[in-house]
Amino acid sequence: MEIKKQLLILSAFFTVLFSACQKSKLENKGTDLPVIESYLIPGQPILVKLYQQKDLTDTAVYGSPITGINVYLSAGSQKLLLTETAKGNYTYADQSILASGKTYTLQFDYNGYAVSATTTMPRKPSNFASQYVGVNLPSSSGPGNASNTVLNVFTWSNPDSLNHVLAFKIVSGAFPVNSFDSSRPVNSQINTDRKSQYDVTGREFPYFGHYNAILFSVNQDYINLLDNNTRTSSQNLTQIPTNIINGFGIFTAMQTDTLSFSVQ
Amino acid sequence: MRKLLPVLLFATLTSGAFAQQTQKTIKKILISKLFTCSLDLMFDTLSKDYHLNIVFERDSVSRYHVVDHFLNESVKDVLDQVCGRNGLHYWIESDGIIYILKNMDDLSRLKKLNALTAIGKNANLQRVEPPKGPPRKFNFPVNGKVFDQTTGESLPSATVRILNTTLSTSTATDGLFVIFNVPADTCVVEVTYSGYQTERFRLDGEKIKGNLSIQMYPSLNTLNEINILGKKSGVMNTDAKKVGVLQLTPASLDKLPVMGEKDVLKAFQLMPGVSGTNESSSGAYVRGGTPDQNLVVFDGFTVYQVDHLYGFFSAFNANSVKDVQLYKGGFSAKYGGRLSSVTEITGKEGNNKQSIFGLDLSLLSLNAFVETPVNDKSSLLIAVRRSYQGPFYDKIFKQFNATTVMAAGPPGGGGGAPRGFGGGGGFGQQVTPSSHFYDADLRYTYKINTNNSLSWSLYTGEDKTDNSRDLPSFNSSVSDNKITDYTKYGNFASSIKWFSNWGKSLHSNTYLTYSSYFNDRNRTNSGVNETNGVDVAFSNGTVETNNLKDIGAKSEWDWQLSNNLKLLYGGFVNHQAINYQYIQNDTSKLIDQHNKTLLGGGYAELEIDPTSKLHLQPGVRTTWFQSTGKMYAEPRFSASYTLNSNYTIKAATGQFYQFTNQVTRQDILNGNRNFWVISNGSNIPVGMARHYMGGFSYENDQFLIDIEGYYKTLDGLTQYTINQQGFGPGSAGNATLKEAFYTGTGNARGFEVLLQKKMGYYTGWLSYTLASAQNKFAAYGNSYYPADQDVTHEFKAINMYHYDRWNFSAVFIFSTGHPYTVPLSSYTITGIDGNKITAFNVGAKNAVRLPDYHRLDLSATYDLLKIDGNKVGSIGLSLFNVYNHKNTWYREYQLQNYQVITTDVTYLGFTPNITLSLRWK
Repeated sequence: MEIKKQLLILSAFFTVLFSACQKSKLENKGTDLPVIESYLIPGQPILVKLYQQKDLTDTAVYGSPITGINVYLSAGSQKLLLTETAKGNYTYADQSILASGKTYTLQFDYNGYAVSATTTMPRKPSNFASQYVGVNLPSSSGPGNASNTVLNVFTWSNPDSLNHVLAFKIVSGAFPVNSFDSSRPVNSQINTDRKSQYDVTGREFPYFGHYNAILFSVNQDYINLLDNNTRTSSQNLTQIPTNIINGFGIFTAMQTDTLSFSVQ
Repeated sequence: MRKLLPVLLFATLTSGAFAQQTQKTIKKILISKLFTCSLDLMFDTLSKDYHLNIVFERDSVSRYHVVDHFLNESVKDVLDQVCGRNGLHYWIESDGIIYILKNMDDLSRLKKLNALTAIGKNANLQRVEPPKGPPRKFNFPVNGKVFDQTTGESLPSATVRILNTTLSTSTATDGLFVIFNVPADTCVVEVTYSGYQTERFRLDGEKIKGNLSIQMYPSLNTLNEINILGKKSGVMNTDAKKVGVLQLTPASLDKLPVMGEKDVLKAFQLMPGVSGTNESSSGAYVRGGTPDQNLVVFDGFTVYQVDHLYGFFSAFNANSVKDVQLYKGGFSAKYGGRLSSVTEITGKEGNNKQSIFGLDLSLLSLNAFVETPVNDKSSLLIAVRRSYQGPFYDKIFKQFNATTVMAAGPPGGGGGAPRGFGGGGGFGQQVTPSSHFYDADLRYTYKINTNNSLSWSLYTGEDKTDNSRDLPSFNSSVSDNKITDYTKYGNFASSIKWFSNWGKSLHSNTYLTYSSYFNDRNRTNSGVNETNGVDVAFSNGTVETNNLKDIGAKSEWDWQLSNNLKLLYGGFVNHQAINYQYIQNDTSKLIDQHNKTLLGGGYAELEIDPTSKLHLQPGVRTTWFQSTGKMYAEPRFSASYTLNSNYTIKAATGQFYQFTNQVTRQDILNGNRNFWVISNGSNIPVGMARHYMGGFSYENDQFLIDIEGYYKTLDGLTQYTINQQGFGPGSAGNATLKEAFYTGTGNARGFEVLLQKKMGYYTGWLSYTLASAQNKFAAYGNSYYPADQDVTHEFKAINMYHYDRWNFSAVFIFSTGHPYTVPLSSYTITGIDGNKITAFNVGAKNAVRLPDYHRLDLSATYDLLKIDGNKVGSIGLSLFNVYNHKNTWYREYQLQNYQVITTDVTYLGFTPNITLSLRWK
């Protein structure tokens, strides 16, 4: 009798233990949310690209464009309706609305979601300078040529340690430096880690040619995107950060300064 | 109480001294005789002439005949000859009786037969000698040590009882025990231990003066015979009186299916509450905990790297291990520094009676040991194990390696080759990397006097994969072009233990310990490049080193105040230093951490038995941790109540802190890396857990049913992520790494059922676990999600069948799949440099589950025996994953031309293995 009583108490203990076990609702984002790509850069057209997400088996580069949406861009007190100039491309002709320190909000409704994102225009990079107008890579090929010798130094003013990204975009040329290494993309970008200097070594350039060295002053949102490489294992997949509410991608403002740079 | 004294004992209640006597006798007596008769008559003659007690089955033995003239030959030689010639064995039991056996399993039948005959004759009845006179001393303590007669090794966890009283105790790790208030100096003491013959002897005035020294004789490898509750019997035992305690006898490990090696840690994975589906980890996932939350103590030092070969084998050589205990939670205040569980491994001291050599050979490794007395005061054990790169090793290596490379290869880039140079793919020829692991144990025990002994233990182990090679020169300007590519990790640890007996009831163990862990990887391409007539040495690549050094001292005291009260107390101090460096191209230090800390504290615990049914164990442990400058107090409590001889209720609770954590650096290019970090109280918090567990057990002489439930809360959990840039072929510039430590909380709860059949030809157990483990990390959202190690249902069936010299076993494991995270869709945008960035829309963290895990393992072992029944070795065949079920380890999502390719990375399929073990004296 005593034992039965004990068993009852025990079973009650386990019932309580497991009744606390409930399936919790986890946050995740639907596959019907839009993908946004928009960089507000003074001197360049105001363009917001809207895509759908892709199926995992989809081989297309981009998702299908999202068309026929009323997309608004708010700049201060102004709320502007963008025009769809091509499928999924929403533009605004007057670039004068872009100015340092101003805050911009993108808003639209899609699939019943109120989609929005906000960004602030950073200051234009200042005193961007290069030690040399170009560099000569060592003539020999093979793994040894990618030495750590600093070939050139780019500098700029950054007293407040703001985020800058340095990009190299090919203008003409693009001959592989090393026949073993022709799979690398021609253009590249580097997070300069809030510094005011970047040292160029031989290994940066897989191709000979004339480049534009473009210094971007950027917001943290873009750095977050850049910093996160896609993980591929089911053990460690994580969502890449985005500044879009109810959406994916990037909506961010930045300013640029450009120098010519040659690699011979 | 006086009625206890005239103890009536039948059958084989004798002292082990008889066996020794018989052994000496049969060696000493020389025979010069001619026998031409049937074998039974010869045994009758030997019995009569030399006063030997030989027991045999007359019907079967009379069929053999002997025609032989023995000239000055010992009885032992005669027995060896006649038994050997007729396919018989003889076996001397501890009572000195010689049994003639056709099959090993005949022993129990012959013993019963002998007992019946003896009772029938009412003569020759061997019994514990009657008391020499009336008792003279009352209510006194007895203390002593239990050890193996053949090796001199002390026996932990043996049960010592005073017959016809309720007094009983278990021996400590060093074989010591003390019992207070023994009613009279004419009582009979009984000692039982798994794999040994039961010892019984009567106390007398002489014996109780000093320490009792109780020698146990090994029993014949035969079916388990258990007639006393709570006796430890099998390869794996549950302590029915305590919550969450498992005990393993390494000597019996060959009865379970083995994967290449007898494995002391993997065996625990067959018990409830310890996950059995992590093929890539020997570390224990105990009750929703992770392996780094399990403290592994080996001869007093903490072991930081517990496995070999990607977790497929544990780092401990079963030949050098005497006893292993796993505390699944709510553990004693003696242990601390981990959130989940404790595995305590006690090394063998080494045989101090005679030299023994052993050799184990499998398709994986060669394992050799020697145990020998050095002089009459000291003994030595050396055990060395090294893998060789046979097909079996290669198969496992590739299983856990090629897959890592698959994760590594950039889309479309050269996968397949194991651990290729990660930098850019396709550097000339690929060679099969050379890879091995080894470990070595050394233990030297020196007995200073009867009350003091010193033992020195040394352990070292390493895994190394070396794929270094010379490269052909690309052109005439590059010379000495070579790739250095190796990964090595392991331990080096040592301890000195001073054991001291301060009287009948107080003893202490004091340790000086050193334990180090290292995990290094070097991947560099170096050479000399001649540019414009100038030789420039270059070295490109990455060098990553993580090492931990832990130096400590501790003293553990054990004071038996009375039969009802025991005080355990002690103190410890540890200095830990961790270095972690990640260097690229000789110059840039991507990670450069050097952390040091000091830990110190003490513990005190009482074991109170107010009545013979109730056991209470309150304790407290405090730790001062230099990095935070704070004191951490950990109260602990456990209790058990015996309802009657069959039923026990038990419970435990406690608070636990953890100051060092193992974190994983995800490396998609070269495989993940584990390393240890010290809490700093800010971004790496001190972990804290609370355990609440309870259960009950039912035990009779055939079965054990043990049911336990637990609930744990965890706080200050750490996860590590690293964001890397400039590594892949798509990026330019110098690589940068950004480290981030995520902190979170968690909880775990579960319910475990164990049904064990303890005796008979067929033994084994069924184990079922219903569990849940959840974590909450802000990085993944604001609610709890299933932890990576969360498994809802786990069922394990372990079946062992003993037939004569054969042991067969079948192990079946089923478990719910592990949770994982899926990408729901993908999207691509263009970056400001014009290159495309493709990302996944990742589903909820661990929201879906891998397919269920299940597999069947089979094994058969045949014992090699000498004529006198002693084991000289065994031959074993084991089959892993017999029906070749593809168990999924994880899923891999790769982008190829913007399309996502999903691949299942699986665990090991069907794998056979053969083992051979030999022992020489």
